[in-house]
Amino acid sequence: MPDEEVLEEGVLNPIKTEIQDPLLQAILEENGEFLTAPTELEQPAPLPDPVDEVDCVVIGTGAGGAPLLARLAMAGLKVVALEAGPRRNPITDYATDEKAQAFLFWNDERLSAGQNPVAFGNNNSGTGVGGSTLHYTAYTPRAQDDDLHLHRDFGVGVDWPFGIEELEPYYDELEQFLGVSGPTPYLWGAPRRRGYPLAPLPLNGAALLMQQACAQLGIQTSPAANAALSARYYQEGVGWREACTNRGFCQAGCNVGAKASMDVTFLPLAEAHGAEIRADAFVTEIERDEKGRVTGVVYEQYGVTVRQRCRHLFLCAGAVETPRLLLLNELALTSGQVGKHFMAHPGMQVWGTFAEDIRPYKGIPGGLISEDTHRPKDADFAGGYLLQSIGVMPVTFASQMARGRKLWGQQLRDYMRNYNHIAGINILGDCLPHADNFLELSDEKDARGLPKPRLHFTAQENELRMNAHSEKLMREIWTAAGATDLWAFERYAHVIGTARMGLSGDDAVVNPDGRAFDVPNLYICDNSVFPSALSVNPALTIMALSLRTADKFLASYNA
Amino acid sequence: MSAPVYPSGTVRSLLATDLVTDATRAALQARLDAPVHEPEFFEPQTYALLQAVAARLIPQPDRTEPIDVAAGIDKRLVDGKADGWRYDAMPPDREAYRLGLGGINQAALSLFQQPFLKLPEVQQDAVLEAVAAGTAPGDNWQQLPIGRFFEEMLAELTENYYSHPLAQEEIGYVGMADVPGWTHIQPNDLEPREPERLTD
Repeated sequence: MPDEEVLEEGVLNPIKTEIQDPLLQAILEENGEFLTAPTELEQPAPLPDPVDEVDCVVIGTGAGGAPLLARLAMAGLKVVALEAGPRRNPITDYATDEKAQAFLFWNDERLSAGQNPVAFGNNNSGTGVGGSTLHYTAYTPRAQDDDLHLHRDFGVGVDWPFGIEELEPYYDELEQFLGVSGPTPYLWGAPRRRGYPLAPLPLNGAALLMQQACAQLGIQTSPAANAALSARYYQEGVGWREACTNRGFCQAGCNVGAKASMDVTFLPLAEAHGAEIRADAFVTEIERDEKGRVTGVVYEQYGVTVRQRCRHLFLCAGAVETPRLLLLNELALTSGQVGKHFMAHPGMQVWGTFAEDIRPYKGIPGGLISEDTHRPKDADFAGGYLLQSIGVMPVTFASQMARGRKLWGQQLRDYMRNYNHIAGINILGDCLPHADNFLELSDEKDARGLPKPRLHFTAQENELRMNAHSEKLMREIWTAAGATDLWAFERYAHVIGTARMGLSGDDAVVNPDGRAFDVPNLYICDNSVFPSALSVNPALTIMALSLRTADKFLASYNA
Repeated sequence: MSAPVYPSGTVRSLLATDLVTDATRAALQARLDAPVHEPEFFEPQTYALLQAVAARLIPQPDRTEPIDVAAGIDKRLVDGKADGWRYDAMPPDREAYRLGLGGINQAALSLFQQPFLKLPEVQQDAVLEAVAAGTAPGDNWQQLPIGRFFEEMLAELTENYYSHPLAQEEIGYVGMADVPGWTHIQPNDLEPREPERLTD
């Protein structure tokens, strides 16, 4: 979101904005803008009297908000979803071009602090009707039971307030509903009540190279579970969704509807059952009565301030915007846990150059998985990680190569001519909560006049040991595969924590049902409630929590 | 193994076919057809400095008309656009570029007693090596983390370069031609529309 552009274009903004950028200040002062008294346009119009109260407002339409929106609508409740980003038509609007797809990302500036500042935007933060699922890679492994019990097993971190049996029925439901493509049987974890509904997607160059090398080294691999269709699939409430075309562009948006993002799955289902989705609606305020119950929200849409009254609020804005809204509104803060224990998955990558012609833009990016490293026997750390092969789009690869390898000049151009011969593997590892890693509101304001969030992240000893362990292993694998010119890129993906779930309001923001301890009609459901990070990609578990939160709410609502 | 060389004209030919969607064609064609950019955010002299730095970080001696990688930075800064995050240790982007480019000039003056623009390429590279290594002299680096600035600038220029269809031809990338879908995805298994490297 172009912070200052909004101001320069004079779009009305009822909040008096402080401009931080000294150059912009100078420009505006020279031009004499904003020095005069607010015009009629700039004064906040009185909000209309609240006449229209709905049962539930859901803030955010990603993996946390969309499934529960559908569930609540199907239960006959009057529900409205507010989505900060736009609604687009993937078939006509999405380009196979990374730069043109920048609208898919949450581009409002976040400040990244700590020893390992986390990249946001296209690294992990989407926007638009569908939220971050618009840009997830569709990688959908299940968490295992021991992922929820790091403290029980290792004496570090915290346990989830329930075991995997609370998530398993939802994993099963989601895999069938979304049309997850994956292997049956699955090699790791507990036996399953049924297999994946679709066969795995075909393996691309990186996946096949990893498969061969791991076989040599005695590491088990398997085609991965991906929520992208390996065959045409009938989607309830939607109709037929077409199969994946191996376009390899999942992270910048699927233009055929094969990837199970929320805009082609739960959101149309919700709308078919009467849910209303309002796009470009940025929530700024959560209003309460004297008893502390939420009565409604205030949002900005197309320059107009709107109030929507509700009986229940579901906050599903992700692990940055959720705590930011809570902090801005001084809501649900008594545990002191809002913004705390920010976690990011270690996502160490190893890249190599192969004699083979790979063309890393083809095929599902995360084609192959190994969970043999879920609890490595020689680990000197708590928890574990999964291994995956990775495809990569050219601009993303070039950019992180420049950052990670610092090649420039002719060296950079020569290296990039190897792009078609490059393949990578990476990990997705657990991350322990730590007091040094947290979100706070900074003094710096954005174009809306709201404080920018600042996120502190420093990889701690456990993450560093995991990185070292995995880098050594991935170098072995890639050497066995025949790669040359290996290099590792230390990175951190996904945003987790910041509004933890727990058994007591003394040390958690929400209870095991997702309801805020402080506010009886406020539910939170997204990656912010994760007590620990898990050793798998979070999307499937967020969706499972979303369905579970809806069911818990409906059970109490109907009681 | 030396780095592959691919034939030129591949992406441009594909853009004329129905193998590319309208949305994709529009994005790429706009870059091919972009008029010469006149700086709006930077002063002309500062912009010339940025272009000179870009010409060393992404040198294009092989092109009679180099891809303009600096224009995107000027446009982004004048529009006030961000990419979702910023190193907390860095000032806002506009200030960072102003300070950083000024710092490069300070380093040039300190090391070679000439502004960066006046230096021969070898000395320009020496200045940039010092910036990349974090050892460049200059007062501005007191206010700007030198390593982060170099990383951010290099990444942005690199993204601008490899977003251009001609740079994508250079590396043999034709992923934009995706209307038919990809069935040949195993190693050494190419679709007819994927260019093969030229033999040495």
